[in-house]
Amino acid sequence: MAKRTEVTEDMYDLSSVLDFDALSEVRPGSSILISGPAMTGKQRLAYDILADGAREGDGTVVVTTSDDATDVVADFRERVPELEESQLGVVDCRREGGSDSSSVDGAYVHQVSSPGDLTGIGIGITKTLEGLHNSGRDRGRLALISLSTMLTYTDKKTVFKFCHVLSSRLDAADYIGVFTIDSGAHDQQTIQVIKQAFDGLIEVRDAEGGGRESRVLGLAGEPTDWKRI
Amino acid sequence: MSNSDPPVVLIVEDEPDVAETYKLWLEGDYEVRMAQNGDEGLELLDETVDVVLLDRMMPGLSGDEVLSRIRERELGCRVAMVTAVEPDFDILEMGFDAYLSKPIRSEQLHDTVSNLLERSEYDSLLQDYYALVEKQATLEATKSNAELADSEEYAALKAEVAEMREGLSDTLGGIEDDDDFIATLRGLSNGEEN
Repeated sequence: MAKRTEVTEDMYDLSSVLDFDALSEVRPGSSILISGPAMTGKQRLAYDILADGAREGDGTVVVTTSDDATDVVADFRERVPELEESQLGVVDCRREGGSDSSSVDGAYVHQVSSPGDLTGIGIGITKTLEGLHNSGRDRGRLALISLSTMLTYTDKKTVFKFCHVLSSRLDAADYIGVFTIDSGAHDQQTIQVIKQAFDGLIEVRDAEGGGRESRVLGLAGEPTDWKRI
Repeated sequence: MSNSDPPVVLIVEDEPDVAETYKLWLEGDYEVRMAQNGDEGLELLDETVDVVLLDRMMPGLSGDEVLSRIRERELGCRVAMVTAVEPDFDILEMGFDAYLSKPIRSEQLHDTVSNLLERSEYDSLLQDYYALVEKQATLEATKSNAELADSEEYAALKAEVAEMREGLSDTLGGIEDDDDFIATLRGLSNGEEN
């Protein structure tokens, strides 16, 4: 019995962010795809999952193809006032013309020249994970926003492989990852391919009569029903 | 790389004694080719070469220059830099897949070469895996759920995908460390499996 308790403690509980039983015990090393049409709050959901972990002391890594690193850091400082020095790392993939590392308001920031520079993104993630590990954080959560932008820079085969390889790296680090994709921006086959690189899927859509609803597939048991969130 | 032929290692090293030592160590397991400088190395380089051991400090073309020419040619080989100074992480940023600092011992050299070959094997498994996933996705995108449930082809494909996924993480140990991670990503960017 002691062993079971221990395992439970290591799990990531995402159910306080999104109330599904299937999300209450997410195994370390899991990668989850958040899929839905534009403007359904996918990025906010991913950030909520990270912020919730940061409040518990988890390491936090954001890989962004759309936001300025400074804005991401400010956003997390506001969401998590107790955020410590070197608890947050941001890999900003929009810096044209070169890569660079710096510190922004106590967070580690790595700049990559383009969302298509997968090696550069990998180096940024590696350095960020290394920094978090050195400051004693051996669990954490990574968000990548968004795969849709990466898919405009490189083909689905490369993005699929990238996701697979990154998932393996997160598995080795006992982290979890959440990745967003705009389901309306790609054909059905592309979405099906990308899904296969992940352990689980959170789908989000607009609910009839306003608001949003969500369901969870692939993490524990059968797919859940749609539920208003 | 076929099963009958040993993998090919190209040694680019200007000191003949050093090059000869590497060759002695490796020739039992690999086909070894030798070049005395960067230009000669680029001449001997073709798609049959699996691993290049590249000395960084050479007269003429430097190791860094040779590396960038190799990457430009988009050959699928893996490149280990051999250096006299203790390198740091930036070496990986420069585009090398691994590094060895002199003096090198036999065991170290063997470990590095076999690890790089494993990376290449991982890449090609990943490529096979992708081909299956794409096939499965095409069925899913074109057939109804009822049709999929009845399809033996689909069931077999799903089982095969699941098995390969396991295989990728188990057989080669998946992505074990940062060097593996970066080297594998570099393989994707180099488009060597196209």
